[in-house]
Amino acid sequence: MTLEAIAAIIASGLVSGSLYALMASGLSLVWGTLRMFNFAHGVLVMIGAYSGWYISDRGGLAKVLQPLGKKITKNSEDWGLMGDILYPLGEWILSIKSGFGLGIGVPLAIVFCGIAGYVIYVLLVKPFVGKPNADLIVIITTIAGASFIQNGVQVIFGPRYKKLDRILEGRPLEVLDTAIGLQEVLIIVLTPVTLLLLHFFLKLSKLGLAIRAVAQNDDFARLVGINVNQIYPQTFVVSSMLAGLAGLMLGGLFFILPTMGSEPLLRAFVVVVFGGLGSLPGTIVGSYVIGLIEQSSAYVFSLYWAPVVLFATLILVLIFRPRGLMGGKES
Amino acid sequence: MLFQVENLTSGYGKIDVVRSLSLHVDEGERVGLFGPNGHGKTTLLRTVSGLIPAKSGLVVFRGEDITGADPHKIVKKGLIHVPQGNQLFPEMTVQENLTLGTFAARTDKGKASNFEKVFALFPRLKERLSQRAQTLSGGERQMLAIGVGLMGMPELLILDEPSVGLAPIIKEELARAIGEIADSGVTMIVVDQDVELLLGICERLYLIEKGSVSLETTDVSQVNQAEILEMYFGKVT
Repeated sequence: MTLEAIAAIIASGLVSGSLYALMASGLSLVWGTLRMFNFAHGVLVMIGAYSGWYISDRGGLAKVLQPLGKKITKNSEDWGLMGDILYPLGEWILSIKSGFGLGIGVPLAIVFCGIAGYVIYVLLVKPFVGKPNADLIVIITTIAGASFIQNGVQVIFGPRYKKLDRILEGRPLEVLDTAIGLQEVLIIVLTPVTLLLLHFFLKLSKLGLAIRAVAQNDDFARLVGINVNQIYPQTFVVSSMLAGLAGLMLGGLFFILPTMGSEPLLRAFVVVVFGGLGSLPGTIVGSYVIGLIEQSSAYVFSLYWAPVVLFATLILVLIFRPRGLMGGKES
Repeated sequence: MLFQVENLTSGYGKIDVVRSLSLHVDEGERVGLFGPNGHGKTTLLRTVSGLIPAKSGLVVFRGEDITGADPHKIVKKGLIHVPQGNQLFPEMTVQENLTLGTFAARTDKGKASNFEKVFALFPRLKERLSQRAQTLSGGERQMLAIGVGLMGMPELLILDEPSVGLAPIIKEELARAIGEIADSGVTMIVVDQDVELLLGICERLYLIEKGSVSLETTDVSQVNQAEILEMYFGKVT
């Protein structure tokens, strides 16, 4: 194996590892506090990408608004005072013909994902919290919801694939004779920063502390005065925003389509089990390990053998460490 | 009267563990509950603090009916239930555990002085501040659990089996600390198997048997040890 091949494998392994880390850390947070798996997590990735595209791209919201802008500027003279007030609005709408751009699209998409996550929680999870077999029921409801949303998006946005603009344009970075796109570099750098922020959020903020408290001992959390039923949706929102960020990154690399989250979700589940259920450090280490294993086996064997190698590794790890790489003891 | 339980019945599923139990605690009083295992003491506490719903009956705190209220609301009112010492946030440091004890507090005022109070009572916790709770010894864990309870500025502090599984010397240390807490004016209910410990702390004792109060005594010096032994182990022949 040449040096440049190794560099290429590491780069692409880090990129997929980053995406898995963002997704799996959200899954792990929700599992930690609610003891439930959210199978609509992949859909939230997709929602992140679609809403980012819809807001930022000229083919999205801006295009839909254009007729309205035209109507306002054309007719405002007939509307008297109302028209004078509305005219600047119409002009502004016409001026955003080329979309709102990623600067607005990315943060808004993340916020929107948080809201979508909250709605998913209220509709698909909350009714079953505290009921017997809630974990199994929620698997079914979130799978059903995911399928519903996927097909809804297909109906609304049509079958044509979308693509997000690259955040960073320009010549790829040369590392050891391997060209790495700037978008990829951005993902590799931004993910650890995000995870570090997540770490400080969990360690220092009141909500973060409460989320960890509920994950470690929900009865004791109630007894110190934490409103656990409020922490559940808040955890869900944080997790959804992380999924949204993953979707925005994915949307800059590959095509955006309604099922884009399904494959990464499967990998993220593998990562969560591999790293150790409920362990955030394990999940993050697991993400990068899985990313690197996947990419190197795709290079050494072939793309089709990559999943085989991946699951073989998973099985091996679980044989020797049944609770995953960093899974805790049975409580 | 600060706290009152009236004809309370609760349990798990179809099984009643607490059966129309009544007791009361006056302001500033220290009351002990004892009785054999599996007779409903912990279930009573879990119902009082709102962790499990009551099937019937009333829990009244400061003249307010708190039956079936959310646990976090009950904590906010100043009724704090310290569960057995193995109930902590195991992967958090001593400091984080104590900080979470102030979660229900509306202001940060008095937070620092609360830390000082807890450290004065349990100097060992100060030494172990950055250590994870799961790495503490049993006695230290119990101290931490009580410390977390104190951080919430209780008006009624309920301790569940503070002495369970502890070495006699640590038990003594703990009993002294509990006595100091009571002397500082906190009303207290202490649940324990160790009647001697309760006799040292409390002014009044309830014996809980088969889910209800089978004996109440205000004159703790008159408690007949032989009688209690009989209740636990049956008649010795």
